[in-house]
Amino acid sequence: METKKLATGAAPRKLSDYLTRARDKAPAHDGHGAGGAQSVREDNYRGHAIEIVTTYKILVDGRKIRAPLGVDDSGQVHCHSLPNYQTASAVDMVRALIDGFPEEFERKPVRAQSRPAASHKHRPAPVRKSRPAAKKGSKHEH
Amino acid sequence: MAVVRKNILQNADVRDQYIQGVQLLKNEASGRKTNEFGIPGAVRSVSTYDLFVIWHVTAMMLETPPGNPAGRNSAHRGPVFAPWHRVMLMLFEQNLQRVLNDANFGLPYWDWAEDGDLPPQQQGDAAIWGDDCMGGQGNPVTTGPFAFSQSDPSAFRVRISTNISGELRSVNRGLRRAFGVSADALPRTAHVANALALSSYDSPDWDADANSFRNRIEGWMNDDGVSATWLHNLVHVWVGGEMLLGSSPNDPVFFLNHCNIDRLWESWMSRNGRVYVPDMEAGADLKGHRIDDPISSPLGRGATPRETLDVSEIYEYDALL
Repeated sequence: METKKLATGAAPRKLSDYLTRARDKAPAHDGHGAGGAQSVREDNYRGHAIEIVTTYKILVDGRKIRAPLGVDDSGQVHCHSLPNYQTASAVDMVRALIDGFPEEFERKPVRAQSRPAASHKHRPAPVRKSRPAAKKGSKHEH
Repeated sequence: MAVVRKNILQNADVRDQYIQGVQLLKNEASGRKTNEFGIPGAVRSVSTYDLFVIWHVTAMMLETPPGNPAGRNSAHRGPVFAPWHRVMLMLFEQNLQRVLNDANFGLPYWDWAEDGDLPPQQQGDAAIWGDDCMGGQGNPVTTGPFAFSQSDPSAFRVRISTNISGELRSVNRGLRRAFGVSADALPRTAHVANALALSSYDSPDWDADANSFRNRIEGWMNDDGVSATWLHNLVHVWVGGEMLLGSSPNDPVFFLNHCNIDRLWESWMSRNGRVYVPDMEAGADLKGHRIDDPISSPLGRGATPRETLDVSEIYEYDALL
């Protein structure tokens, strides 16, 4: 790599120009914002074409969560919002989202007249340590 | 002449320069405003430092190719992980040299495996988190050079972050860290040695399940070949707070972590040669990750994985493994 090109490309104006163009081109994850991210897994087995389309609908405290979860061919769940995580369970990923974005899960004061939600929805999420995900081919929950 | 990248804990002058450089870039207006990058909310000036936050998030959102089930994007979860971050670090280093007015400044690295060999309960007290280095943990961080102070407009502030959808948003708050909450301990030197012993840079299916050096250092698989949070990813998750998000370059520790990852890649190449896969025979589903594909960067076609393999004229490390 040429040092001169590097110095030119590093100029804040050059980087800004590039980012403006890149953000215009970025698909902005169509559908992810609405919680409608889809993962499509395909395989062929004994001459049969397998296609598995996965869409997550996630509710926390009864509220729909707009997180772009996906699942890869081995069943591991990933999410662009937490790019360094991969979990064997979508439940673990949602727990990580609650830890990573605490302000998006802040509880609003409950009005006296409001109907109480089911009791399990009020149970605070346990503090969980990340754990090794399941081995390939083992059972996953989604 | 190539600059030398050094261990931040063994070079107080480099450490102090790095802190000063980050603060200067954080306070330098890039000339652009948030609305120019499609960031909703009140229009604010964007600092040069925060351009790197936007760049990281943008690269992460560019799926390669769109909708691939592996979740590969233009900087992560695939072969281009090491080259893309090498380009990012080089441009960041150039900016540090400019604001420090020191063409010989080399970006320092944090050899986190040395701290990973400590008992887990001691890792949060390691020297890297000292008041004279990166400061400690908290929401917000209240110690060290990046401590938050509501009343001090010059104090280090996070101005651009991501929401739960992964989209950019404006914020105005202090840096967040939470050591050991989402992961018990940092990677150890034995884990690094095991990664360096892998002979293939990457391998099919070029994803988070590949048993390859790239996948191991990126941190999707452990030494037993089991999916796990490992090496680079584990450092992000152990530090917590800002480092959990796509906007993780908000924490200056991000660059120290990635500089160490880059050092590991350079160490691997010193053993295995300056080789990279996949080549251009690979299919279009790997576009953006092949050896002569342009890396998503302001350098355009001038930066490809091939172009990043030999940077010996630009920088070198004081010690390889």
